[in-house]
Amino acid sequence: MATAASPAVPVCDLRFGQVGIANVRVLADDAPALYETLAERVRKAPQLFARAAVVLDLGHLPQDLQRDRAAALLEAVRAAGMLPVALAYGSRHTEDLAQSLGLPLLAKFRAAYEPDATGAPTAAPAPSTPAAAPAPAPGVALPALHHAQPVRSGQQLYAEGRDLVITANVAAGAEVISDGSIHVYGSLRGRALAGAGGSEQARIYCRSFHAELVSIAGRYRTFEEIPDDLAGRAVQCWLEGEKLMIARLER
Amino acid sequence: MTETIVVTSGKGGVGKTTTSASLATGLAQRGRKVAVIDFDVGLRNLDLIMGCERRVVYDFVNVIHQEATLRQALIRDKRHETLHVLAASQTRDKEALTRDGVQRVLEELAAEGFDYIVCDSPAGIEKGAFLAMYFADRALVVVNPEVSSVRDSDRILGLLASKTRKAESGEGGVPAHLLLTRYNPVRVEAGQMLGIRDVEEVLGLPVVGVIPEHESVLMASNQGVPVILDEGSQAGQAYADAIARLLGEERPLRFTEAPRKGLFKRMFGS
Repeated sequence: MATAASPAVPVCDLRFGQVGIANVRVLADDAPALYETLAERVRKAPQLFARAAVVLDLGHLPQDLQRDRAAALLEAVRAAGMLPVALAYGSRHTEDLAQSLGLPLLAKFRAAYEPDATGAPTAAPAPSTPAAAPAPAPGVALPALHHAQPVRSGQQLYAEGRDLVITANVAAGAEVISDGSIHVYGSLRGRALAGAGGSEQARIYCRSFHAELVSIAGRYRTFEEIPDDLAGRAVQCWLEGEKLMIARLER
Repeated sequence: MTETIVVTSGKGGVGKTTTSASLATGLAQRGRKVAVIDFDVGLRNLDLIMGCERRVVYDFVNVIHQEATLRQALIRDKRHETLHVLAASQTRDKEALTRDGVQRVLEELAAEGFDYIVCDSPAGIEKGAFLAMYFADRALVVVNPEVSSVRDSDRILGLLASKTRKAESGEGGVPAHLLLTRYNPVRVEAGQMLGIRDVEEVLGLPVVGVIPEHESVLMASNQGVPVILDEGSQAGQAYADAIARLLGEERPLRFTEAPRKGLFKRMFGS
């Protein structure tokens, strides 16, 4: 701007904000293959990916990288047409790597990236890989897992890292699990476990409530008898502190 | 084109074999060439209900193990010449069944020009029940109007949708029909049994037939005559209706209302 003379106008304005940034989770130490994959992405959607700022996540590699190998991966990303701007937070080794490469570390936006994370023992019995959910860039939410068939007794349905929407009945003895919220546009007679990865904001909604058990982020309630004012009604469940709340959706 | 229909339920004692016998007989009455196979190896019953127990020489397991030919093992029904029974072995167990063997027998029956193959499943969800449903084109799920039977049928419906050849090949599972048996309208009205709507709602499927609970079923079983042949009985007529619906005909449900007591009976008691 023109007037450096006026001290009333500050030279800069420092704020923390949220910026949409893509996360490249590297699964193998193979720079040529990484180049191929990303170049293909850029070619298919140049508006989205050409010169897009990306964070490189090295926390999912089977072993720690040497500096030059990491530099090769960064070069592959650059050659593909994206701009690596940081490494994703990870182990001590990643910190050292970022230091020596002169790149910032983008803070831990996912506790799940802690290798062998101690603590955070979410009681939820997520059946398979714990929170391997990719960190979705803001504005690019993972779509819910949509299931239109009845979930029968003995069946188990798991929506990993996203919401679960079921447009059919969930039978007694069936189990529906989601890292996000669960919506059942039918009757819920089985077990519903939302926030299986620990998300306390997750909720459970259903159109006709007969559940055997509902759980959010490990806090659960079982129902030997469904209270009369809830039985068969449209209901939502959520957490208030440690307390699992259940209420009718319509009055 | 051969159609393979499995009669299954999960729970035991709900009327699978009775239904298999009447279904096979009813299809044969319409002139179709039908084979009915007892998958309950070790607890063979179908031959009794079909009234051919004294004519069993070779059985299903013999054919699977190639100890007898299919023709040797098929027992022709005394009453309908297009109806054939393949009995289970009483001396073996379910492990004697193999998927390849079952597939070979079904293919051989198709090559022989059978229109329908009715697979009478054992109870449970183990190997015998699994193999009975695996190759099916359609399923008839037999359910009684009580909660444990309904839950077991729900489990079976889930398996039909996921653990069958049709499911594995991406055809979306085996289409299933619900047959409600041992239905007693008086007890439903008294609140001692689930009603038709309750069962349909829990399982998310409409019923293809409702067979009333009646002593004629037990009598027919003991005499080795499929109850569908007892044309005077409500159960027999209800089976005929259900088969007609399976074949695409429209028939109103019968025998599902409790009889109204007349004035005389109300005054003097029943």
